[in-house]
Amino acid sequence: MRQLKKILSLLTLTLFSLFAVFPIYVVLSTSFRGDNAFQSTSLEFWTKTSSISNYFSLFTSTDFLTWMRNSLWVSAAVTLIGVGFAIGAGYSLSRFPIRGKKTGLLILMTTQMFPCTMLLLPFYIVLSHLQLINSFWGLLIIYSATSLPFCIWQLKGFFDTIPKELEEAARLDGCSHFQVLYKVILPVSLPALAITSLFNFMTAWTEYAIAAVVLQDPQLYTLSIGLKTFQSSLATQWGLYAAAAIIVSVPVVILFMSLSKFLVSGLTMGSVKG
Amino acid sequence: MRILLFLSLLLFTQSLMAENQVSIQIWHQMMYSHREVLREVVQKFETEHPEYKINLVYKETEELRSAFQAAALGGSGPDLIYGPSDQVGPFATMGIIRPLDDLFSKEDLDQFDPLSLVRFQDRLYMRGDMVGNHLALLYNKNLVSKPPATTDELISLGKKIAQEKTADGKPKVYGLAWHMMEPFFFVPWVAGFGEAFTNENAEPHLDSSSTRQAFQFMKDLKESGITPKECDYEMANALFKEGKTAMIINGDWSWGDYQKAGVDFGIARIPQVSATGKWPAPLVATKGYSINVHVSPEKLPQVVLLLRYLMSEASQLEFTEKVSSLPSNLNARRSDLVQKNELLQASSDLMSVGQAMPVAPELRAIWDALRPQYQAVMGGTQTAEKAAELAQKNALEQIHVMNEIEKPTSQALIVKFIFGLLGLVLLVLVLRKLPLIWSELMGPYRFAYWIMLPAFLSLIAVVIYPFGYNIALSFSNLSLKTFQDWQIIGFQNYIRIATDPVFYSVLGKTILWTILNLIFHVGLGVFLGVIIDQTLPAKKWFRLLLIIPWAVPQYITALTWRGMFNQEYGAINLVIQKYLHLSPIQWLTRPLEAFGACLLTNIWLGFPFMMIVTLGGLQSIPKELYEAAEVDGATAWQKFRKITWPLLQPVLIPATTLGAIWTFNNLNVVWLVSNGGEPSDQTHILVSYVYKAAFNLYRYSQSAALSMIIFLILVVGSFLFLKKNEPSSGGPT
Repeated sequence: MRQLKKILSLLTLTLFSLFAVFPIYVVLSTSFRGDNAFQSTSLEFWTKTSSISNYFSLFTSTDFLTWMRNSLWVSAAVTLIGVGFAIGAGYSLSRFPIRGKKTGLLILMTTQMFPCTMLLLPFYIVLSHLQLINSFWGLLIIYSATSLPFCIWQLKGFFDTIPKELEEAARLDGCSHFQVLYKVILPVSLPALAITSLFNFMTAWTEYAIAAVVLQDPQLYTLSIGLKTFQSSLATQWGLYAAAAIIVSVPVVILFMSLSKFLVSGLTMGSVKG
Repeated sequence: MRILLFLSLLLFTQSLMAENQVSIQIWHQMMYSHREVLREVVQKFETEHPEYKINLVYKETEELRSAFQAAALGGSGPDLIYGPSDQVGPFATMGIIRPLDDLFSKEDLDQFDPLSLVRFQDRLYMRGDMVGNHLALLYNKNLVSKPPATTDELISLGKKIAQEKTADGKPKVYGLAWHMMEPFFFVPWVAGFGEAFTNENAEPHLDSSSTRQAFQFMKDLKESGITPKECDYEMANALFKEGKTAMIINGDWSWGDYQKAGVDFGIARIPQVSATGKWPAPLVATKGYSINVHVSPEKLPQVVLLLRYLMSEASQLEFTEKVSSLPSNLNARRSDLVQKNELLQASSDLMSVGQAMPVAPELRAIWDALRPQYQAVMGGTQTAEKAAELAQKNALEQIHVMNEIEKPTSQALIVKFIFGLLGLVLLVLVLRKLPLIWSELMGPYRFAYWIMLPAFLSLIAVVIYPFGYNIALSFSNLSLKTFQDWQIIGFQNYIRIATDPVFYSVLGKTILWTILNLIFHVGLGVFLGVIIDQTLPAKKWFRLLLIIPWAVPQYITALTWRGMFNQEYGAINLVIQKYLHLSPIQWLTRPLEAFGACLLTNIWLGFPFMMIVTLGGLQSIPKELYEAAEVDGATAWQKFRKITWPLLQPVLIPATTLGAIWTFNNLNVVWLVSNGGEPSDQTHILVSYVYKAAFNLYRYSQSAALSMIIFLILVVGSFLFLKKNEPSSGGPT
């Protein structure tokens, strides 16, 4: 009975894993095929037109490396700024009797409810007033600020679970508030910090709509806009696109997988109460 | 901190670099092969004029349009914008491109094909560099010796070719393929049945017997078995390149590509309609450059210099040589490259039966009204009669909406009064709180306030301010004709939405979409989480595999799934046929199935999040509870029902709320999988509907109002949900 149950659950998990991996299999297989072979009735992984030439031309004949570098810069900076700001706000909200805390937290949550695409036009106008169109700064500001509400909630939720006694002991030892945060709280918050950073990184790494409006110089393109240039209304370079998609996805997937342990413990779904 | 400083320094130096150069930016929508040529031409220009630096920016046609609108409204944007002539109407109406009459002399312009000089309301707005863009029948010479001259011949020839079947019952080689989703590929046939699709004032003329017959003919052609069952541009293109369709209806832009791909093909007119003896009339248009209205007078001569260069004989011939385009420069046309090019010679014969592409903004409304009807006829969900009738009705309605300038009513005063009052109250509040804020910033908790400040300020600048701006827009009349001078008009936008039946049907669909998604996300997530939690040895591996959907960037996922849903070549139908032995499903051409396709994609995307949340929640359930239950002889189901499920609530409820908000507002999946609401705008949820209203129909104010309504629905909905579940949501406080 026990054995049967085990086999059944293994079977179910295998089935769902196949479901989860199948689209990736399709992209991977397309990325090896010749340019015209996106449409083909074979499900085989390796066909007679397959080769690594798409990957080769991706690196030699396109600006892929530039896009990659830009995306790395932007994503790293957004992660630093976003998480840095969120630590401050999350910690204050978690530990101190801030005025209007409850309202503030509710407002933070409601910002998630506005359809983001409609903010494009106002964003553009704000950024052009600040002369930040066509610069990474514009992108950094928007990305970090739009992901802030989620990050603050997330970190506040985690800080809430840390026993207050830890800090009190440190305060008695003569630590300043900053030292307490830096030396006591942050080290034990590693899982939550890892997850929050991961989300920030992901947003910046994959965002498309805002980047397309803000960045105009091809030298500044991030990966998502760059990838889009392989597509056009009437002819997509599917092979190149799939190869690029694989390379773009790999770092995030690896990050996700290596942090998956933290995902389970660090993703706090804090309650809405203040 | 140091890294940040370094980073800012680096960015700063980068922005300082280009000082003494003239930098000109061009936005264009050229396809891949054309882009390469443009780059070469521009590079030549740069070597001749070293002080110039030309930036080429590619954007997809629709995006080019919306990005340019946004940029120009913000007072910037590229210097030159390149695109199809039909963008001239809307841009000129908005006043974001400048008339070119004063920049070029008459003698200058006389050297160009009149078709390439795009005028709107008697002023020149665009200089085309190539003429054509018209559809023709291309045939693979290895499969077709003589192109069919009439539609009857076309069908009988097609049937002969499609006779031979593969093992799974499909034709080995199709007779004909074309883009079955876009009305651009349909309107030539309307003329073939006698009448034009617009009248001389560019007003729609769609409820005609010609349109009805053309619809019916398209449908019959598809059912005759000579074409694929579902066919978009990509697919038709790929089939023709691989020799899997003998004929294709495609535009002149594709010829260069086919030559490069080594297809031995010929070009002929789209066959004469046997029933009427008339030729279908493909739309002949030009593509070209317009100048942004914001180009400064000092920079204008430099931009004109570049534009002249791009129009020159040498530059245009470069394109002719590489991609077989027909130059607009008449001198270039007399060159051997054009005269000896068979394709181009054939092209002028084709153009002789063509009709000129209208440029008025109203054309947009005609396309938008025709597209869903065309798709519905092809998908078999609409009759030809009804489709023609509805297309006309919707086109007229949309034109009316587009051209209407709403005047401020007395309500505008009320709105302004409320705004003013609110602003005043806010100001007074802030001023009165100022000493308090100051004392807090200096007080015992100053540490807490100071470290919160950066987050607080950036949220105000980037989230709160645009939000306020959006509120103002939602009471305004910002649209195509009031782009530069919109004003507050009152509650009209809200009233119109509240009285629009389409809004309620889309709202219903959105709610259904959200609920279905959540049921699957939470159901699958909890189910898999619980199983994984029990399966000890391989636990880690399954967890790794199952979070993959969450990790892959959404736009990649969405486009991949779209490919997988293709009726004949998509991986999903292949699996259904090969392993389950069922008949293929028309995923993307029928409303219900397309909705299902979006749903399946989003379920795939969303369940890992809930699974991880569940796993996290399971960690905090004491194992002793299960042991005690076991002693009492509880079944697995009882244990789940009485222990696991209730104790998961504290994490699941906030996660579900967040999930509901994300799903409700998920533009990516719906927009990309259904390609902007296909078929027939039946797959929209509210956000995609808003997006379409704003960027396709130029109704900014109305979509601003709609997004406010979405926001309110979500706020009220999620607070009700949380309130209802409050007692059980203990959570860490």
